[in-house]
Amino acid sequence: MIKIPARILIVDDEKDFVEMFSMRLEGQGEKVSTAYSGKEALKVLETKIIDVVILDIRMPGMDGIDTLKQIKNLYPIVEVIMLTGHGSTETAVEGMKLGAFDYLMKPADFEDIKIKIENARKRKDEQEERIRQAEVKLLLRRSGDF
Amino acid sequence: MDKRYDDNIRLLLVDDEEGFRAAIARRLTKRGLKPLQASDGKECLDILGQESVDVVVLDVKMPGMSGIDTLKVIKQAYEKIQVILLTGNVAVTDGVEGIKSGAFDYLTKPVEIDHLVNKIHQAFEIIRLEEEKQTELEYRAKLEKKMIDTDRLASLGTMSTGIAHEINNPLAIINESAGFIKQVLNSAEMVKYSQKDILIMAAEKIEKSIKRARNITHQLLGHVKKPDTKLSEVNLKALLYETFGLLKKDIRDKQINIHWQIDKNKNVIWSDPYQIRQVLMNLLSNAVHALPQTGSITLSTDEIEKDIILEIKDNGVGIPKENLGRIFDPFFTTKSFNEGTGLGLFVVHKILLNLNGKIDVTSKVGEGTCFQIRLPKCNKSNG
Ligand SMILES: Nc1ncnc2c1ncn2[C@@H]1O[C@H](COP(=O)(O)OP(=O)(O)O)[C@@H](O)[C@H]1O
Ligand SMILES: [Mg+2]
Repeated sequence: MIKIPARILIVDDEKDFVEMFSMRLEGQGEKVSTAYSGKEALKVLETKIIDVVILDIRMPGMDGIDTLKQIKNLYPIVEVIMLTGHGSTETAVEGMKLGAFDYLMKPADFEDIKIKIENARKRKDEQEERIRQAEVKLLLRRSGDF
Repeated sequence: MDKRYDDNIRLLLVDDEEGFRAAIARRLTKRGLKPLQASDGKECLDILGQESVDVVVLDVKMPGMSGIDTLKVIKQAYEKIQVILLTGNVAVTDGVEGIKSGAFDYLTKPVEIDHLVNKIHQAFEIIRLEEEKQTELEYRAKLEKKMIDTDRLASLGTMSTGIAHEINNPLAIINESAGFIKQVLNSAEMVKYSQKDILIMAAEKIEKSIKRARNITHQLLGHVKKPDTKLSEVNLKALLYETFGLLKKDIRDKQINIHWQIDKNKNVIWSDPYQIRQVLMNLLSNAVHALPQTGSITLSTDEIEKDIILEIKDNGVGIPKENLGRIFDPFFTTKSFNEGTGLGLFVVHKILLNLNGKIDVTSKVGEGTCFQIRLPKCNKSNG
């Protein structure tokens, strides 16, 4: 079976982390983009199609929660996994309430990350499929009206 | 301890002259001081072995074990008992020697009964004061410990979680780097590389150590798997069973009797099962660690007002008094690094604070330890 690469965006102000983590995911056949701040992440999303965003909660400037809100607002279908070095479960819970797919604590097990990415991507695919079908139905009904 | 009054002085009268003893006993009884009776030193000690006694009135001149010898044994074995000696008229030196050996006072025969009653009351007053002082001391020791605990834990907690935060980020970088190295070594191009296996082994050692460090930082941060804490009905007995299941490995090579004294009506709370399980896990594993080859763990519940009390008691090694105030501190441990991190109780304390509960400990070296946790039956805050 050929693996369809997930289009992943990693957002973290820790440059070394972003670099190593993306090399690792690419080595596993994923397609990875990177950003070092919330603003940069939004720029990437404007130009590239992304399936899953991996987002650090604590960043200087626009923090993870604000970035999450913006992403979910502009691209509701993109799944977000929060990744944090901070134990504040409250923030994680808040993130989940705002529509994040899941959350992981640094340093995370690579296996855990892989599973979560896979599941997030699946959810996005299903969601896209539903939207497509709804659109088809809508089209059919419209053409029936005439 | 309740304050005890004079009308329940527990008295023992020891004299070999039966007629004399009976007469004194009768008169004491008339004055509300019904004494137990013994006819010699040996019988006296037998009775003390079985009954609690406050004051002993002891004849000095007796066949067999002398009064002074009996006195010495009493003072050695029961330091709280007060002894009043009865000496012959000509044997004042006996009385003096008696006081040196710890007697409260001595009276010379023939005994003036009111005088004796007075002495008994005086002796009892000493005991009462002593007891009061003791309870006060215990009370104050407890208070002091509490104050140190909360202050220390608050500042230690803030500091150590701060450190954990800062360590997680570099740890994540090390983790991804080691993982990447391993990934490259496992790739097709590396198949022929002769050093491949040892490099993989080295990378895995790095990963293993990261896990160890992570275990510490995640515990410090009170990270419990399952982030979206949901409150639900928690059956403590069921959760304890489950937790023992998880501890199988530690229990396996010990003989442990588990006494279940859990009242099924005082067993259910409304709280966060994941966090409660973590608490039970940490307390039970400590209890198991504390037991030598054989031992017992007693689990009991009770109910006070709107709270459930769970007691986990072991008859293991116990905790020395000087450690009692420190066991909840992060990193305080008496175990080697692969057995304990010293974070178990710190986490327990933190979780209970979150869930509006509290914890108390009593322990005695060589006898065992009892942890008592108190949790509201219905927790309203979202821990
Ligand atoms: N039930 C117990 N009996 C005896 N000592 C105990 C018990 N529970 C805790 N302790 C003492 O408290 C210390 C701290 O416990 P804990 O915080 O769980 O850390 P750890 O178990 O990793 O050492 C232990 O090392 C031990 O000395
Ligand atoms: Mg422990």
